[in-house]
Amino acid sequence: MLLPFVIITDLRKMELAIELILFGILMGLIFAFISLGLALIFGVMNIVNFAHGEFLMVGMYVGLLTSTYLRLDPFLSLPIAAAMGFLLGIASYRLLIKDILRGPMVAQLFGTFGLMLFLRYLAMFIFGPDIRTVSSGILVGKSVSLGWVALDLSKVVAAGLCLGLFVVVYWIINRTKLGRALRATSLDAEAARYMGIDTEKMNALAWGIGGATVGIAGGLLAHFYYITPTVGMVFILIAFATVALGGFGSISGTFIAGLIIGLIQVIGGQYLSELKFTFIYLTYFLTVVFRPRGLFGW
Amino acid sequence: MKKLIVATFLSIVLVLSFAVTAPAKEIKIGVLLPLSGPLAPTGKSLKEGADLAADIINGKYPDLKISIAQWEGIPSLGGAKIKLVYADHRADAGWGADQAKRLIEDEKVTGLFGCYNSAVTKTASVEAERAAIPFVNPDSTSPALTKRGFTWFWRVTPHETWFTADLFNFLDGLAAGKARGVGPVGKEQINTLAVAVENTEWGAASLTEIEKFAAEHGYKIVEALKYPKEAADLTSEARRMMASKADCYLFAPYVADAILFIKTLKEMRATPKLIWGQDAGFIVPDFYKTLGAAVNGILTRDLFSPELGKAKPEAAKINEMYKKRTGFDFSGSSARDFVGIQVWAHALNSAGSTDPKAIQKALNELYISSDELIMPWKGVRFGSPFPGDTHQNELGSGVINQYQGWPDGKLHVIYPFEFSTANLIYPFPGWK
Repeated sequence: MLLPFVIITDLRKMELAIELILFGILMGLIFAFISLGLALIFGVMNIVNFAHGEFLMVGMYVGLLTSTYLRLDPFLSLPIAAAMGFLLGIASYRLLIKDILRGPMVAQLFGTFGLMLFLRYLAMFIFGPDIRTVSSGILVGKSVSLGWVALDLSKVVAAGLCLGLFVVVYWIINRTKLGRALRATSLDAEAARYMGIDTEKMNALAWGIGGATVGIAGGLLAHFYYITPTVGMVFILIAFATVALGGFGSISGTFIAGLIIGLIQVIGGQYLSELKFTFIYLTYFLTVVFRPRGLFGW
Repeated sequence: MKKLIVATFLSIVLVLSFAVTAPAKEIKIGVLLPLSGPLAPTGKSLKEGADLAADIINGKYPDLKISIAQWEGIPSLGGAKIKLVYADHRADAGWGADQAKRLIEDEKVTGLFGCYNSAVTKTASVEAERAAIPFVNPDSTSPALTKRGFTWFWRVTPHETWFTADLFNFLDGLAAGKARGVGPVGKEQINTLAVAVENTEWGAASLTEIEKFAAEHGYKIVEALKYPKEAADLTSEARRMMASKADCYLFAPYVADAILFIKTLKEMRATPKLIWGQDAGFIVPDFYKTLGAAVNGILTRDLFSPELGKAKPEAAKINEMYKKRTGFDFSGSSARDFVGIQVWAHALNSAGSTDPKAIQKALNELYISSDELIMPWKGVRFGSPFPGDTHQNELGSGVINQYQGWPDGKLHVIYPFEFSTANLIYPFPGWK
């Protein structure tokens, strides 16, 4: 008598599990890609970029402004967001980071913290505190049905693109001459200099590539998330938790950690929503205490 | 020579004594608002409401038939101007208390005003209580705030108990066929509720009130969740609401999470029969500006509608002034902050002094009639309208509005049914 009920219950449980895993992977890929630039910059230069969330915010505003004023589809504005992120990264390095690197560790921390405040309040000055969203675009506001579950098309495409770009960055770092030079700089900058590598250029490039990836992440996020000068605050702590969990400087670690954080926040939201951040930061805390180098760090 | 010294001494004493006894030319009121962070858009609109009230009090507006518009300052204080000294509390209860202390000790404000977030109002008002200076709260709605027995805290806005009672009276009326343009729906059609609230003081208080009234009115809560308002993603929360198959979705969100929740529900193609928001995030301009047509059919408890201007011509004029400055109509929140500064002005005028005790007495005895206000209230008078309340305005009331015809539409009054300005759109039309 109870068999049909048990089957239905199990079917519902299975559907729920599949949904949660799907949602978790989608958001996880996006979190991982947002965190990639942070891991990259730390990997090459051992410096934590507190302004990373603001770089993301710049990418989001690029998506918004190009779609609003140039009537360009926000998806097509991704190369512009990447270019802006790249230039912002290079400019930050040349105008600020290069000099504070000579100072003590605390100067580096306060330097990027200052950059964060500068970018945030510059945006506040230019755009005001208003919340905006991208209202039109080939992906905006569209859903795709996967059987019983409807997924936001822009999230699906964003997650797919994040996966693809992760592979590209991984390939650049691990399979190209440029990547070898970046890795050599990160392992021993002085030795790399003796070997003829322009470490200054490598540092700038790390900031540029980091800026470009988070710029693209911002452009993708603009499709489905609200945009405001303080939006970086929402994501920077998640990015820190992701990078710490994956291992500072590890690209593959960031990827895996992003997926784990995505799943934690979705599953946490399902069962104990008010504590969903607590689970993320607990993971961060436990990682720092028991495995400070993270899952894949050195 | 001796006469000259005596004359000089007397002149100095005279000047000094005049400086001490002369009415202040400026009365500083410390205003605590969320001016940065995700609530900055809300904070900005509240500041604009308070600024407009201060400008009307300090200037002269003969066309406005309310008393503060004729005053050019506080009459009983020699025309002293009101100066609002702002502090950003970042929606952080600890920081808000620090800022309240700074305003009291460093800025030497006459009193405090704010803070919108109930959690911040709770901590900041403790500082005012310690310092024994008046704290007028125009816009925080956690019922607990006026149940602490504070002697220096007055709340102008109605609180959640009123609003939640309004919601369930509205649902009962909808079931019974009292809603304009809709026949009897039957209680079984709207009997199940899914509730999502942000997880600070205000959201938690809203949920408690909803649970209490749902039990009293015979509605069933099939899902209730609290979520962090700074969430990067609300997919699983939206999924829970949908999985509950509830007839009505009820929310108590701030603005950023309200936008994210509705966007997520839209993308997941949720189909509730009714969506209702507990004011706050649902009435901030950013909500309807960013969501556009997606807000159509959404109900929100509110305190103001531009449509009320038809019954209150002064409200229409002041709303026009606000709109000219900001590009938007008053929201229930910005209108409340306007009224809150008005309350400060009336209290100062009645007190005739900036002495805290005189202001305390004036606030305790204050009465402002309905025709002085832009709100659809019977007036302002502090008392104990619900058990345990102290210094709570007992003449306030709320409305339930519905977004219709957006992006260029209106926020129509739906409840009280006798004041409705349009037919109710029911069931919720869904998103295409």
